[in-house]
Amino acid sequence: MAEQIGVYICECGPNIKDAMNIDDVADFAQQLDGVIFARIFRLLCSQEGKELIAKDVHEQGLTRVVIAACSPKEHEHTFRKVISDAGLNPYMLQIVNIREQCSWVIKDKGRATDLAKSMIKAAVYRVAHHAALETKEIEAQPDVLVVGAGITGMSAALTLAQKQRKVYLVERSPCLGGKVVRYEEVFPNLECAPCMLEPALDEVLHHERIEVLTLSEINEVLGFYGNFIVKVTKKSRLVDMQACIGCRACIEPCPVEVSDEYNESLAKRKAIYFPFAGALPNAPAIDKEHCLRFKSQECDLCQKACQFAAINYEETDQVRELNVGAIVVATGFDLFDVKNASQFGYGKIENVYTSLEFERLLSSTGHTGGEILKKDGQVPEKVALIHCVGSRSKKFHEHCSGVCCSYLVKFAHLLKQKFPEVSIVDIYSDFCLPGKQTQKSFNDFSKEQGVEFVRVNDTNDLVISEVDGKISVKYPVSGAQDDKSLEKITAGLRDLSVDMVVRLNDTNDLAINEVDGKISFKYAGSGAQDDKSLEKGTAGLRDLSVDMVVLAPAIVGAVDAQVLAQMLDLTTDENGFFNEEHSKLSPVSTTTEGIFIVGCAQGPQDIAGSVAQGQAAAGKILSRLVPGEKLTLDPCTAEVDEDLCSGCKTCIGVCIYNAVCYDEEKKRAAVNEALCRGCGVCVATCPSAAITGKHFTDEQILQEVKGVLED
Amino acid sequence: MEGFEPKLVAFLCNWCSYSGADSAGKAQKEFPANIRAVRVMCSGRVDPQFVLEAFKNKADGVLILGCHPGDCHYKEGNYKALRRYTLLKEVLKPFGIEDERLLLDWVSASEGNRFVEVVWQMVNNVKRLGPLPLRSG
Amino acid sequence: MGKPKVGLYWAAGCGGCEEVVVDLAEDLLTVTGAVDIVFWPVAMDFKYQDVEALKDAELAVVLINGAVRLSEQEHIVKLLRRKSKLVIANGSCACLGGVVGLANFSKGIELINRAYKEVPTVANPLGLTPQSVTREGDKELELPDFYNTVKSLNMVIDVDYYIPGCPSTPELIKDAFMAILENKLPPKGAVLADTRALCDTCSRRDTKPEKISIREFKRVYEIEIDPARCFLDQAIICLGLVTRGGCQERCIKANMPCRGCFGALDNVNDQGAKFLSALASMMDSNDEQELKRIVDSIPDPAGLFYRYSLATSLLRGKIDEAK
Repeated sequence: MAEQIGVYICECGPNIKDAMNIDDVADFAQQLDGVIFARIFRLLCSQEGKELIAKDVHEQGLTRVVIAACSPKEHEHTFRKVISDAGLNPYMLQIVNIREQCSWVIKDKGRATDLAKSMIKAAVYRVAHHAALETKEIEAQPDVLVVGAGITGMSAALTLAQKQRKVYLVERSPCLGGKVVRYEEVFPNLECAPCMLEPALDEVLHHERIEVLTLSEINEVLGFYGNFIVKVTKKSRLVDMQACIGCRACIEPCPVEVSDEYNESLAKRKAIYFPFAGALPNAPAIDKEHCLRFKSQECDLCQKACQFAAINYEETDQVRELNVGAIVVATGFDLFDVKNASQFGYGKIENVYTSLEFERLLSSTGHTGGEILKKDGQVPEKVALIHCVGSRSKKFHEHCSGVCCSYLVKFAHLLKQKFPEVSIVDIYSDFCLPGKQTQKSFNDFSKEQGVEFVRVNDTNDLVISEVDGKISVKYPVSGAQDDKSLEKITAGLRDLSVDMVVRLNDTNDLAINEVDGKISFKYAGSGAQDDKSLEKGTAGLRDLSVDMVVLAPAIVGAVDAQVLAQMLDLTTDENGFFNEEHSKLSPVSTTTEGIFIVGCAQGPQDIAGSVAQGQAAAGKILSRLVPGEKLTLDPCTAEVDEDLCSGCKTCIGVCIYNAVCYDEEKKRAAVNEALCRGCGVCVATCPSAAITGKHFTDEQILQEVKGVLED
Repeated sequence: MEGFEPKLVAFLCNWCSYSGADSAGKAQKEFPANIRAVRVMCSGRVDPQFVLEAFKNKADGVLILGCHPGDCHYKEGNYKALRRYTLLKEVLKPFGIEDERLLLDWVSASEGNRFVEVVWQMVNNVKRLGPLPLRSG
Repeated sequence: MGKPKVGLYWAAGCGGCEEVVVDLAEDLLTVTGAVDIVFWPVAMDFKYQDVEALKDAELAVVLINGAVRLSEQEHIVKLLRRKSKLVIANGSCACLGGVVGLANFSKGIELINRAYKEVPTVANPLGLTPQSVTREGDKELELPDFYNTVKSLNMVIDVDYYIPGCPSTPELIKDAFMAILENKLPPKGAVLADTRALCDTCSRRDTKPEKISIREFKRVYEIEIDPARCFLDQAIICLGLVTRGGCQERCIKANMPCRGCFGALDNVNDQGAKFLSALASMMDSNDEQELKRIVDSIPDPAGLFYRYSLATSLLRGKIDEAK
């Protein structure tokens, strides 16, 4: 059947009409091969315009349509719908951009006319080779798997658990709440963290559409977006959660004591244990690694102590196969292992704590019941808080974790609350207090304490000296333009008496030692331009003597995340965080369609940011995986012709979406249309030209090239 | 060369450079009528054969404009284009095609000004070189 | 009726394609027994007048090898086209222009000057070069015109079938003859070899990883090539993935990478350009400088990628000089 191509030229009001000889263009288009008419219309995107096109499709039997108007980025989808509603396949359309890329930019009317003709010819040549593409649909599972039951995972799960959709919440540890539930108070408002989480924990545990799988780990992930098949091993708890009432009678009799990882190894626990007081679900777990029964010894003391027959030694691990449409990775963070930075004396000197350890000291569910005590049980007199441990340093991790300055301010405040007499030394190289409230809370705390933290334009202008047994800090007021000239500055010099504020170039240049039962550390003060040169300026090695040190180590991606990354075909950066699809436009998606990364698994952030991401990923899932609806796939994907494919595998390596796979049996490549994004990289790469890039085929593009170059 | 108006084919990627050209259009910045745009989804779609076909069809110059490195909508498509282009440039040397006749560059969606700059420069360079004399006989 | 009449002609070729016919060995007798070779300059004594005396389409088939770069060759292939029902382009030169086609990286005149004057071992004090017409007394001697551009056979005459290869294989030649004799030919224009690239029949395909990462290309003499492993995985350039199969991987079996003599697949217009696209995806870097360095480790990419197909590539060869 002969082609019946209809060409429409939009005047776009005066925009196109006045910029070229539009009648000339129409006459030219009319005589092109296959074109049955070339109509000029005032405004094609108007109701009348769309009706005209629809009418022509019916009455003129149009087989293909060319619309010369504004950019396809404006109205391609509009006109596709118009012709589709009129019964013509929406892909039998080519838009010619004679507005943004012609009328508006070619000032010479004659040349604009010539260009328009050339572009329309190219479009007619191209459209003649368009294929009627059909949107495919695939069955999709609306259910979702969330990995990690911290605050982020729980937020995502709660947002996702809608009618007709189930959420599986898989958690490696025996309890929910992640890190946050083990804090006492969170900045900036110092609300109680467990209290804040309580409603969410309760809802998650009792939600009829959320299935919580604690002590569970992912073993295998197969399939793709809409149809993931995930194997999960639910390790045996050896405690019947239905029968157990959480009375804790089984704990006392257990003869085994091991290091308690839920209290950051500061205390001991038994082989049968609750991770911490109030941990949910409210049932203990038996640690098979340390329980005597699993070391071929007889012991049934916990079972004997239980009045509710809740201990079940026969329980075995279960393997579950979950069929889900999307996966949300909320595996959280770990702290930089400070043992790798020996200058801090961590692990060697007593009373040097990481922030997570300090949180457990502060927490009422911790082993000290919220008392901040030194290892000898005494109250500390002088506490040093050190920022950026293993952070913002080329020696360790370069990134800023974004939350440590905030929580160190919190620690300072809480310390002062508990011990008004305590002396706090805050050692930092920069202060980072972003967000709506943090800086303000910081200002408020400072006022309460009578400690004024002062922001200085250039810390090299500080002059720190000793005056009357206290350290006096001279600093210039803001507005000092020339930081080299100290004479100018003396005019505005203020004296300030604080306990001590020490700015260093790099807090990782500290050396902490134990001297006479006290913790001593050496640091290079700033003012010295060159850290190595101690003669310059007023800097030098200072000796400072304290009782307790709290370190704020860098936040890094959870160490175990690497294993999960492999299974999910995700990549991580050098700090262990999963890589997002696009840092600004798709921060929670990944290049693996259907797998999302949220919270600290994606990057260091505060609770608000994490929760927002969890809800964002939920939003993305909710909008596309609709229960009862199939997943529609964009038809402009790649397709391998098996008759031409030689199995050379060159295409496999170029697809970052893992959409092209190699069939080991057939020895041919194949494209998964659910994963293909239509970029065309494999099409251009295939040395046999065996891959077709639908709607952007070699032939279509070459016809367009031919058309624009012909005289 | 006097009076010579070269014809250039510009392969523009849907997400960045094509939108960059549209940006120039919206700001009504003048650009040369010598440029014939051909839209692709990604600069990584540009097969080296397209470049040669363009030359064969009497294009005097060819541009491939993609997203800035790191910004590709498809993450690494532009890097694939860069790899091909680097090798293609070397392969074209014995063919005698002057270096200035083929350009791979990066223009983002908001860089209307840059788009205009890049194409004007290219047109001027190719004007100086004259028409592409395909092999005869 | 008599046996079908067959002709073989060599244009700008090296004689290798003739060798293949001889390599049919015992099968040659089957073939020669079934046909009447009426014209085969390399093996039998015939004259052009013999060809001219034939009726149009009297030959059942003529196998022409070699590219066309002399006016004499153009004349004879056109003559043979008239005199034969079928014309088969035999070998890479006839099909693609072949190695002879690499001459297209120079101008015709540059080649003449080089061969007759500039080569150090040539003694040509008078600087003589071949002339189309030379007068010697009252006699006029003619030499064929030397074209500026080498052409494949189908650029000069209508070709029915193609047997690729440099040279092709005795098996392919025999199969072609048998197909003609048994009237089992595919549609006109077909290449009488595999329809997929060499990787499909390559014994090393299973060792080829899904992602190859090359930081520097190696030449065949630079490393001990593992005879069981894919060449590309050893950073050795192998054109197998862009080259039609059917050669029974004889180079591969000799532990040498494919050079591409069977030409590209049906949907590829330019073997060199397509190959570079595939090869580039294996160059493992996203940095401009580093990529340049990797590219520099290939001594002559154009010559290597277009070794057999330059004359039929999209650009045909080096462009003319600007006017």
